[in-house]
Amino acid sequence: MKPFDYIRCESVEAACAALDTYPGDARILAGGTDLLLELRRPGMPVPGAIVDISSVHSLRGIALLHGMVRIGPLATHAEIARSALLRRQAEFLATAAGDIGSPQIRNRGTIGGNIMNAAACADSVPPLVALGARLTLRSTQGDRVIGIAGFFEKPYKTFARGNEVLTSISFSPPPPAARTAFVKLGRRNALSIARLSVAVMLVQDQKGTISEARIVPGAAFPVWKRVPEAESMLLGERPSVPLFSAAGKKVSDIMVGVTGRRWSTEYKEPVLSVLVRRALETCCTQ
Amino acid sequence: MRKMRLHTTVNGREYTVEIHPNQTLLDYLRDTLGLTGTKRGCEIGECGACTVLLDGVAVNSCLVLAPQVEGRNITTVEGLATGETLAQLQEAFLDHDAVHCGFCTPGMLMSAKDLLDHTHSPTEKDIRLGISGNICRCTGYRQIVEAIDDAAKKMWQRK
Repeated sequence: MKPFDYIRCESVEAACAALDTYPGDARILAGGTDLLLELRRPGMPVPGAIVDISSVHSLRGIALLHGMVRIGPLATHAEIARSALLRRQAEFLATAAGDIGSPQIRNRGTIGGNIMNAAACADSVPPLVALGARLTLRSTQGDRVIGIAGFFEKPYKTFARGNEVLTSISFSPPPPAARTAFVKLGRRNALSIARLSVAVMLVQDQKGTISEARIVPGAAFPVWKRVPEAESMLLGERPSVPLFSAAGKKVSDIMVGVTGRRWSTEYKEPVLSVLVRRALETCCTQ
Repeated sequence: MRKMRLHTTVNGREYTVEIHPNQTLLDYLRDTLGLTGTKRGCEIGECGACTVLLDGVAVNSCLVLAPQVEGRNITTVEGLATGETLAQLQEAFLDHDAVHCGFCTPGMLMSAKDLLDHTHSPTEKDIRLGISGNICRCTGYRQIVEAIDDAAKKMWQRK
């Protein structure tokens, strides 16, 4: 690893100040499961400073605060996967976190790092987009809040400024009747990088009619987004295999419309349709 | 790049040493402390050969920057035995022929220790998940899974 200055921070304020000292030339270190790979990769630019926030206590924790679920960006994937609060309020987020990497990676990698690294295959992002999560970023200029759907510019690039620290991920709990699911297809069982994934949320009224639907594919679009064209097909309908298959087909069509036909399309098009159908079916069998 | 002082407790022993901040925890254990039981494998967090316990949970030491472990507790494979007496988990690996070339063994043992410290009656699925971050290219995993299952039974007196 090439040399760099190392700055250990005990508070968000100290981290913001450190980032201002190295304008555009510092990287934030949390769990390190992505950053350490980058620092060793030949040809990658080496930052002047590593700002280590991993011991900032206020960035930890998962809690219900003033009616909102608040996740500290340093919450590890393992903590999210076993959180009783998240299992109850947003099960698909816990499922997605439990599918990331290996036990060792989940013990170390953080949700904040997963978001800020912005890999197209980041497993915690599709559920957070479906939840309409809001991100709080802090710099020496103050706080700003941004919806996660508008946070990503392109793969590996967010709209965060170089001097900002992600301090909170929060969302309103879905209605009690909501059911969620996350399904992912990788190349192997452990340590798999998502080739494709889907996060869905469904709300059915007392008669079983679908009153709300959110569908967010992962690793399908340049940046994550809901697919309202497919969601609207479900509203006012009752669950059925043909309905869910049609919604899956619609999601695939939209993906091909956005990305065009490329080498992977022949594979991704049918697979995405099936994953969407399976995710919707999972919501109805809970 | 300035050197910095790092305080850690490794296998119950306290260390204060000067390190370069661009070292990984793996470099620190092997090159600075000379604890070469922890293996350097893929160095990208895929193979698990470098697994150690950090405050009691399994991590890939190749993906932890050394200065991040300031003040923390680390257990490596050298910390399992007591003097000349092997831990039950190590005995079980020998009893079940779970060691062939042996390169994955330190990492396997540490992942298994994390599992058994937190789960007293693991199912076969729990065991396979527990070692899913560790690659073995010799055994086909069967003997390793059996060894961990046997160790769990002996350690926690399960029938």
